[in-house]
Amino acid sequence: MKKKSLWKFGTREVVYAAIGAALYAVLGYATNMLPILGSGNVSFRPAVVIPMFFGIAFGPIVGFISGFVGNILSDLLSGWGFWFWWDLGNGLMGLVTGLISASIIDFKATKSILLAEIFVVLGVFVGMGVASLSEMWVSGADMNTVIFANFLPAFIPNVINGLILVPILMVAYSAIVSRSGRN
Amino acid sequence: MLVSWHFRYRNSIMDRIDPRARWIFSFAFLISATLFWNARFLIFFFLTAIVWYTFGRTTWKETRRGWMLISFMLFTMIVLNTIITGGGAGGVVPPGGIKLWPDGFTLPLVNWHIRFGLTIERLWFAICQLLRLGSISMIFVLFPYTMDSRAYGATFKGLGLPDRLAYAMELAFRYIPTLARDLSVTLDAQKARGYELEKVKGGLFSKIVRIAPLLVPVTMNAIVASEDVANAMDLRCFGQAKRTWLYKLTYHWWDYLLIAFSILILVGSLVAVYGFKLGGFWVPGFFYQLFV
Repeated sequence: MKKKSLWKFGTREVVYAAIGAALYAVLGYATNMLPILGSGNVSFRPAVVIPMFFGIAFGPIVGFISGFVGNILSDLLSGWGFWFWWDLGNGLMGLVTGLISASIIDFKATKSILLAEIFVVLGVFVGMGVASLSEMWVSGADMNTVIFANFLPAFIPNVINGLILVPILMVAYSAIVSRSGRN
Repeated sequence: MLVSWHFRYRNSIMDRIDPRARWIFSFAFLISATLFWNARFLIFFFLTAIVWYTFGRTTWKETRRGWMLISFMLFTMIVLNTIITGGGAGGVVPPGGIKLWPDGFTLPLVNWHIRFGLTIERLWFAICQLLRLGSISMIFVLFPYTMDSRAYGATFKGLGLPDRLAYAMELAFRYIPTLARDLSVTLDAQKARGYELEKVKGGLFSKIVRIAPLLVPVTMNAIVASEDVANAMDLRCFGQAKRTWLYKLTYHWWDYLLIAFSILILVGSLVAVYGFKLGGFWVPGFFYQLFV
């Protein structure tokens, strides 16, 4: 089987990135109504698995754009404005998770799913970590506030959503892969 | 599910400003405002943000949702973290300080004696936070209401983003209504099969798993459909030559003026903070007089 290129960004990747961003925005908008109490500008949205899954399936650049642009679009649809540092955090979540994409050939193999789960945790950690730390610069929050009011309320639900839903999407995608013969 | 953009033409000053100039101003403002904890400068940024906000001619009814989120964020950051729990000062406020109620205070009616460690310095810091976050919020909350969604791709291309990246953004905007319709159709189809997204029973895990019958078909259908779009784009030689954009942007003299003002704010702020060390936190004398 042909080895996947990690940083390829051709026509297909442009379309996947756009679809990922739009999906994240629409699904995020549909579930955006549940802000996490005491956590400032963080809300509970299962749609967060979209940038992670698109990163794993189509590479880190696609994951980044799905998260970054998707979060911008979702906030625009909700009328919440533009919060660059949280958009960047969502993008990084897709990018870091997508770093494993070149190693995943069989999407329903246990090893692939385990690897993806590890990178989901890593991706959410880096993405939400960067976004939360930026609150120190923007809001003047101290480290305790950043950890307990921003990072943990964003990290925990996103990781739970990712760990549960990413494998489900991977197994579903493997059916498409085998049916269409793509890799 | 109905999905619509909040933008509409209002014949406002903001409608006449080139979106690229707006983004340049907004980012210059963001970087500059976050350099300061000195209230004198923060008041300048706050007033500038108010003027900028009025350029948008948005109504309270339109922007209410955005302001609700911002109020929630400000409440958490300022009231809960800085004032009540005593956190959220990020090493800006020096330790110690003069307590607002050194002997505590008694709540009327219930006669509870409360010992509250809030200091004058921390209270002033909360005001500075309000000025800083409030001004940044006024600048950025306007975007959904005052920027045409058709202009995003051309704007970011104009700001130096690569063609493919800008086009991905443009395409994402165009996909939103299609995917929203697909989501709605899938939700209806699943409901017809007895699917209950709003079911209250079950813990967090079962609630997340309950999303799968909606998430999986919508995502997989979108991926399958994207193949046709990619093929169509390949047939039209996408990415083989420099791209032209349907939505044309043109700078006017007032846009250049705004960009010059943005550069002035940014450079002035950098000089004030790093050259003259004027950005630091400082409590004015009159504020002490109010409480001591």
